Amino acid sequence: MSDSKPEFSRRELLGFGAYGLTGAALSSLVSGSANGGAHETHFEPKCKRVIHICLMGGMSHVDSFDYKPGLAKLHGKELQYEERPATFFNRIGLIRKNDWAFKQRGDSGLWVSDLFPHLATVADDLTVIKSMVADSANHTPATFQQNTGFQLNGFPVMGSWISYGLGAETEDLPAYVVLPDARGYPAGGTINWSNGFLPSVHQGVAFNSKGTPIPDLFPPESILPSTDIASRKLLAQMNQADLTRNGAEDGLLARIRSHELAARMQLTVPEVVEMADETEATQEMYGLNREETADFGKNCLLSRRLLEKGVRFVQIISGGSFGSPRINWDGHEDMMRNHNREAVRVDQPVAALIKDLKQRGMLKDTLVLFTTEFGRTPYTQAADGVLGTGRDHNMYGFSVAMAGAGLKPGMSYGETDELGWKAVEDRVHWHDFHATLLHLLGMDHERLTFYHNGIERRLTNVHGNVVSGVLT
Amino acid sequence: MTLEFQETMRYVVLRLVVLVTASWMLTPLDAQAVDFDKQIAPILASHCLECHRGDEPEGGLSLTELALVKKGGDSGSAVVVGNAADSLLWERVSSDEMPPKHPLTNAEKQTLKQWLDEGATWGDVPLDLFSITTDSRAGRDWWSLQPLRNATPPASESDWGRNEIDKFVYANLVANTLKPSAEANKRVLIRRLSFDLIGLPPTPQEIATFLRDDSKDAYENLVQRLLDSPHYGERWGRHWLDVVHFGESNGFEYNQPRNNAWPYRNWVIDALNADMPYDEFVRHQIAGDILAPDAGGAIAVGCLVTGPHNTTKPSNDTMRKTMRQDEMEDLVGMVSQTFLGMTTNCARCHDHKFDPIPTQDYYSMASALAGVEFGERDVQLSKKAATKIAQARTNIETLRTELNALESRAREAAAARLDAAAKSRPGPLPFAAWNFDEDLRDHVGTMHVTLVGGAKREAAGLMLDGKGAFARTKSLAKPIAEKTLEAWVRVADLKQRGGGVISLQTTNGITFDAIVYGEREARRWMAGSEGFKRSESFGATDETEGEGLVHVAITYAADGTITGYRNGMPYGAAYKKSLQKYAGEKTELVFGLRHGTAAGGNRMFKGTIARARLYDRALTAAELEASAQSGGISIVSEQDLVAQLTPQQREHRASLNRQIQQSQQTLDRYKTSKLWTVTPIRAATVKVLNRGDVRNSGEVVSPRGLSSIQTIESDFGLAPDAADRDRRLKLAQWITNPNNPLFSRVIVNRVWHYHFGAGIVATPNDFGFNGGNPTHPQLLDWLAADLQANGWSLKHLHRLIVTSATYRQSSAMNAKAAALDAGNRLLWRKIPTRIEGEALRDSILSIAGKLDVTMGGKGYRDMREYKFKGSHFYDPIPQTQTEQFRRTIYRFSPRGAKRTMLDTFDCPDPSAVTPKRAETTTPLQSLSLMNNAFVLLMADAVATRLQTSNTDIDAQVRELFRLAYGREAESKDVRLATPFIEKHGLPAYCRVVFNSNELLYVR
Repeated sequence: MSDSKPEFSRRELLGFGAYGLTGAALSSLVSGSANGGAHETHFEPKCKRVIHICLMGGMSHVDSFDYKPGLAKLHGKELQYEERPATFFNRIGLIRKNDWAFKQRGDSGLWVSDLFPHLATVADDLTVIKSMVADSANHTPATFQQNTGFQLNGFPVMGSWISYGLGAETEDLPAYVVLPDARGYPAGGTINWSNGFLPSVHQGVAFNSKGTPIPDLFPPESILPSTDIASRKLLAQMNQADLTRNGAEDGLLARIRSHELAARMQLTVPEVVEMADETEATQEMYGLNREETADFGKNCLLSRRLLEKGVRFVQIISGGSFGSPRINWDGHEDMMRNHNREAVRVDQPVAALIKDLKQRGMLKDTLVLFTTEFGRTPYTQAADGVLGTGRDHNMYGFSVAMAGAGLKPGMSYGETDELGWKAVEDRVHWHDFHATLLHLLGMDHERLTFYHNGIERRLTNVHGNVVSGVLT
Repeated sequence: MTLEFQETMRYVVLRLVVLVTASWMLTPLDAQAVDFDKQIAPILASHCLECHRGDEPEGGLSLTELALVKKGGDSGSAVVVGNAADSLLWERVSSDEMPPKHPLTNAEKQTLKQWLDEGATWGDVPLDLFSITTDSRAGRDWWSLQPLRNATPPASESDWGRNEIDKFVYANLVANTLKPSAEANKRVLIRRLSFDLIGLPPTPQEIATFLRDDSKDAYENLVQRLLDSPHYGERWGRHWLDVVHFGESNGFEYNQPRNNAWPYRNWVIDALNADMPYDEFVRHQIAGDILAPDAGGAIAVGCLVTGPHNTTKPSNDTMRKTMRQDEMEDLVGMVSQTFLGMTTNCARCHDHKFDPIPTQDYYSMASALAGVEFGERDVQLSKKAATKIAQARTNIETLRTELNALESRAREAAAARLDAAAKSRPGPLPFAAWNFDEDLRDHVGTMHVTLVGGAKREAAGLMLDGKGAFARTKSLAKPIAEKTLEAWVRVADLKQRGGGVISLQTTNGITFDAIVYGEREARRWMAGSEGFKRSESFGATDETEGEGLVHVAITYAADGTITGYRNGMPYGAAYKKSLQKYAGEKTELVFGLRHGTAAGGNRMFKGTIARARLYDRALTAAELEASAQSGGISIVSEQDLVAQLTPQQREHRASLNRQIQQSQQTLDRYKTSKLWTVTPIRAATVKVLNRGDVRNSGEVVSPRGLSSIQTIESDFGLAPDAADRDRRLKLAQWITNPNNPLFSRVIVNRVWHYHFGAGIVATPNDFGFNGGNPTHPQLLDWLAADLQANGWSLKHLHRLIVTSATYRQSSAMNAKAAALDAGNRLLWRKIPTRIEGEALRDSILSIAGKLDVTMGGKGYRDMREYKFKGSHFYDPIPQTQTEQFRRTIYRFSPRGAKRTMLDTFDCPDPSAVTPKRAETTTPLQSLSLMNNAFVLLMADAVATRLQTSNTDIDAQVRELFRLAYGREAESKDVRLATPFIEKHGLPAYCRVVFNSNELLYVR
C-alpha cells in the first residue's frame, strides 16, 4: 500500500478480503488499482496514448520553429535590452541571425526552418507552441521540470503520472516504456524516468537497445526451456498448496497472477522489438537503412509498435549526458555543427513516425510530443561585444511541437519578442503544458492526485491552465 | 362531534396557523442572536480568510477585524452594519461569486445574513486563520499539537491481553463488535519476530531451540536475544535510512558519488544497537558536531546532508539562489517530517494550506539550518590516531602562543622603530610583503615588482583592468613548500570569472598555487592550481555588493591542508591535497594573472590590490585574524625582529620553532580521512521570500521553531545573524524537548508502523490535517509517555510492542471481521506482509549459507561507476564476489542507479524521503526473481549446501523447508518435489522455492 490516507479505501470497503476476488479485480491488482492506480478518466479523452520525443540539451527555437527576421537585421549588433539577460554562462555576445533558412510550409504556411527538412513535410500536422517558459536555465532542473513539473529529484515523471492515471491497455507490457539514446543515458540516469513517490509499477521501463530489451526477461541458457516451464508449473502448484494451507490474501493471489503476466511478457516483448515483419519501405521511411538515422529510426518505429500493443506512454530520448564532445542539443560552441548533427538523427524518423501513425489511423487517438527543456539565446555565447558561433540556454522563451489527437493542426500558438528572447504573448509554462496534456488524455490535472507527505500531489503542483488555444 | 367541540377545534387550528406563521416570520428576531465566535468565525476562517487577510489581502479586503471589514477593499466597504441586503459582503456571497468555486451552503449563508442584519458584532481579538481547526484546515487546536494526554489503559473484564497495549486495542475492538484473533503458533511467531527485529529468517537451530523451550519466558527470551543481536541495528537502521533519504551521490546532472558518506550509515546502525536514547540519537543528527566535537559527532550530522545536491552552478545569481532555496526546502522538509511529522516545507511559498504553519515559520526553521552546507571534512576515524592528532594540534597551538608572546614585544619595538605611525597591532612576519598603496617594493626581501600590460600603481594600490594588466616579481630567494598567500583586494566586478589575485608559479606559468576569484564558483574565492589539482570548493559564502576592501588569504600546511580565510575568519571548510614544492630560482609571484607568462583568457583579474603578503609557512587562524586586523600596515623583517631579541630569547625562539616542526611531523604521520557531512558555513540572515521568490525578500526572521507548538517556547532567543552552532544546537534542543508533543508521538507511531504494517496514524510523516487521525489516540499518547518514562529507549518500545497479545495474534483471515474492517485498522489480526527487497536478498543469501555478516566499514558495490561527459553513471554488475554477499544495507546507494531486483521490489530511490514503502506486485518483479543471475547463483549455492549435508532428495527437501519456510516439510510437499528434482535438478527446485509465496510472505 502506498502512503495513503487512513480513510477506508475503495478496496477496503469492497472487502476484497479472502475469496471474493473476480478475474477483473485480480488483473487490476497487478497493474492497477491495488498498486495505487487511479484508472479513470474525468471526461471523454481526445487521445489514448502518447509518444514523447525528448530532446536533451536545449534545442534552439530561433533556428527551428520560431522565425525572427529581426535577428538577421541585427546580426552582429549588441542587444538593446534594458535588463541584462540572465543565462547560464552569463556571457552576452552579439546577436546572431538564424543559421538555417526559414520557409512557410504546406497548406498551413507554418514556419519551419531547413534544420528539419523532413518535419517540414508534415508541417500541416504540427501544432507548435512558440511561447514556452521554464523556471530554470540549468539543464537537469529544467529537464526535471519538463518531465515532472518540479526542479528537484524525486518527483514522478509524466509517463508515471499517466500510467498511474490510466493504467496500460495491455498487461503484457509495461504502461510506460523509455527508449534511451543509443549513445548513452541522459545526465541523472534513471532519475529521468522515476516514479518518484508513485508505486514502482509506474516507473518507466527502459528498453536496452542491445541484448535483451528488459533485464532478466529470460533465464540464462543454462536453464533449459523445459526446466523453466516445469518450474513455473511447480511454482503455481506450491503457491496453490500454500493458499490451501495458510489461507488466501490479496497479495498472494496477485503474485500468482503476476507470474502468468510475466510469462506473457516473455512472449510479447521479443515480438514487439522484432522489426523483421515491417516492410522494407517502412524501414526505409524511418531511416533504418542509413547510419545516421538508424538508431533513432529504430526507436521511432519501435514506439509505434509498442503503442499498437497497448503501451500507454513511450518516451524516446534524443541526446545523452553533457560535456565534450557533445552528444546532445547543447550547442554552446557551434550551433551549426551541433544542431546539424543532432537534427539529422531525428528529423526523418520523427517525420516518418507522424506519417506512419497518420496512414494507420493512429494519429486520431495518439499524441506525439516533441519537446526540449529550454531554448537558446538570440545572441551568441561569447565575450561581450563578440559574435560567436554558439548560443547559451534560454528559459524565457522557446518552442515545442506536438501532433495528433485533439490539437489544431498546422498552427503555431503564442509569440516571443522580436528577437525570440522572451515569450510575450500567450505564455505557456510547463504546468500549462502538463495540464493540457492531461486534458487531452481525459484527465483534470487538479483531480489526478496522489497523497504524499502532507500533500495531494499533482503533476502541475498548484498551477496550470489548459491551453485551450491549441485544442480543437 | 359537538358543535362546541368543532368551534374549539377551529379556534385551536386557527391559533396554530397564526402561531406557526408568526413564529416563522419572526424567527430572526425571536431566535437567539448569532454567536460570532461559534458561528461566524468558523465560516470566515474556513471559507474566506485564506485569501482575505494579511498585508496584501485579495481585492484589498481583509476580513480579520471589523474595522478592516468596514473599511473594505478595492470595491468599497464590505458591510453596512445592520443591513445585509446593502452589504457588499452579502451581495458577493449570496450570488455565489464568493467564495470562488466553493459557495457557502444555504445554512451558512442564512447565518451570515442574520449576523449582518443583527449588527455584525465581532469578537474580542482579530480573527486568526491558524487559531482554530475548520472543515478545511487544522488550527493550533489540532490534536497532534496538544500536550500528551494522561492516558490510562481502559479497564477490561476480559482476560485477553498481556500488557497495557492490549487493553487499549481490546476496548476498541469490542466497541466495534470485533474480537482479537487467537495467538499464532510458535513457528509463525519466531519467523515473524525474526524478520521484524533483525530482517533475517530464523535458522533451523534457532527454531528448534525455541520450540523446545517450554519455559514461561521462552518468548520474552527470544525477543531479548533478537534485540541484542547486532543484526537488529542493520534491520532498523534500514528503516531510518528510508526516512532520512540517505543517498550516496549528489543527484542532478553530475550525480557525483559520495564515497565518504558511509560512516553515517554505520553510525545509525551502531546507535540503534547501543539503544542510544532516542532524543540523544536525534540531537546528534542535528548538532552532533557541536555536542561532541569528535569524529562521531561529525558523522552523526551526516543526517542533514543525505539529500540531493546540485553542483552544476550557473553564473546567474537568481538561479544559484533558487537552487540553494530548493536545497533548503528539501532539508527543512526532511527535518520537520522526520522528527515532527509536520510538512513545514509546504509553507515555503505561502502559508501552509492545511496546517497552522505560516510562511515565517518555514523561514525561521530554514534559518535554524542556514549554516548547513554539503561537503567533506577531515576526520580521524581511528581513536588512537585521533588522540595523537589532537595532542599534536594542542602542542602546536601552545607553542605558537608562546612564540607569539616572545616575538610580539620585539616586533612591536621593531615596528615602532620602522613606522612610528603604526597604531595597529602588528601582524606575523612575512617572507615577502608589498604595499602597493605606497610602492612596488618588497618590504621584507628582494621580490620587487614589475608592471606588465598597462598595469598601474595608484594611491589605492595596484590597478588591474582584467584584460592585459598584471604584475610579476623577481624570483624567490629560496625554495618554498608550506606557505600562506594573503592580499587586501577590491573586486571591481563581482560577476567576473577566473581572475587570479596573487599566484605563486613556476616561471613557465604551468605549476601554480593562487588566490583565484569566481573561477569554478561565481562570487567565491578558490585555491587555484594547475588542472584544479589542489583546488576544491571551500563551500563558503558569496561575495556581495558594497564590501570594499576584502582581506583574503589561503594557507597551505605541510600536511597538505588548504585553508581559506576572508577578513581574518575561516572561509568555508578546509580540505587536504598533496603539498606542492617550489624551487627558489624558477619561481615567481604574479598579481592579477591566475598563471601563465602572458595575459589572456579568463585568467585576468579586474580590481585593485592594496597590499599582499607571502609567508613561508601556514599561518594559524589566530595569526591570520591578527594580520587582517593589522591591515598589513606594519612590516617587520626577520632581521629587524631578531635584532630586538636577546641571545637567550633567540635560542628560546629557535627551540620553539624546532618543537613546532616536530609536532607538524606527527600530524603528517597520522593521516586523516575524508567524511561527507555538514561543512558549516557562516549562517546567513534569513528573510521571508514572498511567494518563495528569491528576488522578492521580505521581513528578516530569527532562527526558531514552529509557533503552532505552544507547549514549548518556539523562540530560541537568538539574533537573526546568530552563529550556525547556536542555531542548530537550539533547534536540536527545541525538537527533542520532552514537552514537544509531536516528537515522542511521531517516533512511537513510526516504530508501530513498521511492526504492524500501518501506523496508529497511517501517515508517519504527516501528523497534520491531511494526515491520518489516530485509530487509537489514547494508546498513541500512552506509548509516547511510556517511551519518555523509560529513558527514550527504543528497545524498550519494541519489547513492549512485540510482547503484546495484539502483536502475537494469528494472521488468519476472518471473513466476518474483514467485512467490518477490511484494512485491519482496529487490529483484529496480525496482517501478513511481503518482505522488503533488502530482506528478500538477505534471506536468499542466508538460506544459501553465503551471507557475509561483517558489520560496518565501507560497504559493497554491485555496480560499475563511470564518468561519461561530466556525469556519473552506475551500471549494475554481476554479484558474484563474496564481498558483495553482505547485508543489503551495506550496498553503496547512489541516486538514479539501476537495481534490477531491488527496484522491482519497491526499494526506494533515495531521491525522496520514504516514510512508508509501497508494496506492489508486478510481472517485472516475477521476471527478476525468476531470472536474475544473483538468484540463480544462490540457487546453485543452496543446492550445494543441501547436497553436502544430505545425500537423499527427501532429506534435502526437508532441510530446505526448514531453512526457507521455517517448518517441517509434509509428505505431500516431498511428493511434489521429488519427481521435479529428479528430472530438473536440485538448483532448479531451489529457484522455485526462492520465488514461492511462502518464502516471500511473513504471517
